[in-house]
Amino acid sequence: MFEYGWFHIAPWGAELSIYFFLIGMAGMSYALSTAPDLFGGKFEALRPVQTPGLLLALVIVGICAPLLILDLGQPGRFLYPIIYFHWTSPLSWGSVFLVLFTACIVGFYWAKHHGNRGDLLKPLAVVGSLLGLSMPLYTGLDLMVNTTREVWATPWMPVMFTVLSISSGTAMIALIAKVMGKTGADVMVILHTILLASVATTFALFLGLVVSLLYGSGEMQQGWQILNSQYGTQIWLLTFVVGILAPLGMLAMPAIGRQPTILVGAGIASMIGAFMVREVLLVAGQLPQLFY
Amino acid sequence: MAIGLQADPSEGVAGKKRWAMVVDLRRCIGCMACVAACKAEYDVPLGVWRTTVKVKDLGQFPNTKRQFMPRLCNHCDNPPCVRNCPTEATYKHEEGYVLQRYDRCIACRTCIAACPYNARHVLPSNRTRVKIGGVVDKCTFCEHRVSNGLVPACVQTCLGRSRIFGDLNDPKGEVHRLVSNSSTVTLKPEKGTKPQVYYIQPAQKITDQMSAPPVSYAAKADAEAFYRHNKGRQFFGGVL
Repeated sequence: MFEYGWFHIAPWGAELSIYFFLIGMAGMSYALSTAPDLFGGKFEALRPVQTPGLLLALVIVGICAPLLILDLGQPGRFLYPIIYFHWTSPLSWGSVFLVLFTACIVGFYWAKHHGNRGDLLKPLAVVGSLLGLSMPLYTGLDLMVNTTREVWATPWMPVMFTVLSISSGTAMIALIAKVMGKTGADVMVILHTILLASVATTFALFLGLVVSLLYGSGEMQQGWQILNSQYGTQIWLLTFVVGILAPLGMLAMPAIGRQPTILVGAGIASMIGAFMVREVLLVAGQLPQLFY
Repeated sequence: MAIGLQADPSEGVAGKKRWAMVVDLRRCIGCMACVAACKAEYDVPLGVWRTTVKVKDLGQFPNTKRQFMPRLCNHCDNPPCVRNCPTEATYKHEEGYVLQRYDRCIACRTCIAACPYNARHVLPSNRTRVKIGGVVDKCTFCEHRVSNGLVPACVQTCLGRSRIFGDLNDPKGEVHRLVSNSSTVTLKPEKGTKPQVYYIQPAQKITDQMSAPPVSYAAKADAEAFYRHNKGRQFFGGVL
């Protein structure tokens, strides 16, 4: 048997899955940090973690910038999608939103701590939270619009990325609350509810993913085969068991799940899953066409 | 209807050209002269290709056949790479070419992800003779030659006249005649990209088999090595 084929490089590697994970977490951190000023009421319980949450979002954006530069090769290239904006590309929209999101974080922090501009807090919280949650949305859309890659070209991809970001951002805020010792009952109730809902939704979406890969087109099934043979540990152990089943089990009973240590443990487990599922989806979408 | 930078398909539009290629697989002998000509025309670096010829043995003994499949950018009428490019670096020319503006390309590789034909690659940034590097590159149907009345380099050098290039809109042209009168197939028609490289002779089954996972031990080992070495970003070290 003689065969000669060739492999062009896989377009996206680990730096992208790290970026997808981090920027989504930053978006949800911002949304939770600004919730006391946006909603008030019970969300006032989150006030103690507001400043660290904002700073965390800013630090994560600061980490993401060099990641993107590393990926693109040159710093100036980050500006090109804005200068030469192309409306049919989610990456163009994402570049614009990323800049605006960063401005919202800085603006909110300034208005709160230095500018004494209480009137700006609510608008910045609304706009910034929408922009923050548009970060995972655009990363999912960036995959979804590749209509010829069947593993990616599904409308639930951006939904899943957004849900994963909600869980990992909530987990990070829970960790901050635990470290700061601000684990009041109201804080735990809010974080537990959001985390449980997002992990449960991830479970449902994961089942959808499995079914569509198992019984989908030839390309989907090939993606499934590659995932199981090359990335079995990542998808089954780290995503499904550690990232979904374990936190679901820990959070299922509210009386147990609202204990700070349990909540943080479930959060960290869900963060591992949130990263791994992105990693394997990124790979599974690309590899089936390598043989082509 | 045009979306983004996609020029409207010019096939069948009076007064407009629609460049296309026909590959007659009955004539391809797998000599790779087209690959060499393309490499020479553009100084295509080692490890990447604008065009190549895929080889695979098909069938079961004693009914076997060595099949050659020249591959290049399909210059689709509905190119997903153009839609997804965030900087308008890649665009659809009104005569059918899908071209690349190197000065705008940020090497985000979205177009590589979008292309179902693996027709794009990243040029290394450390090239010596040609300075264009660290950007995505692809076949251009030799637009610079065609606009000067020549045919693409691969077509010029093809020993068996397997590759035929011309204006699909010219009713007297060879390409028009071949596409009209012969049984041709395109690659992955189900993807909706409307590719403009037509293959004569094979049943769609054969083109599908050509793109199936590797069968031989050596090819499988190559593929597995590729997976192993591409899990992390170290693969891109030195490329961009």
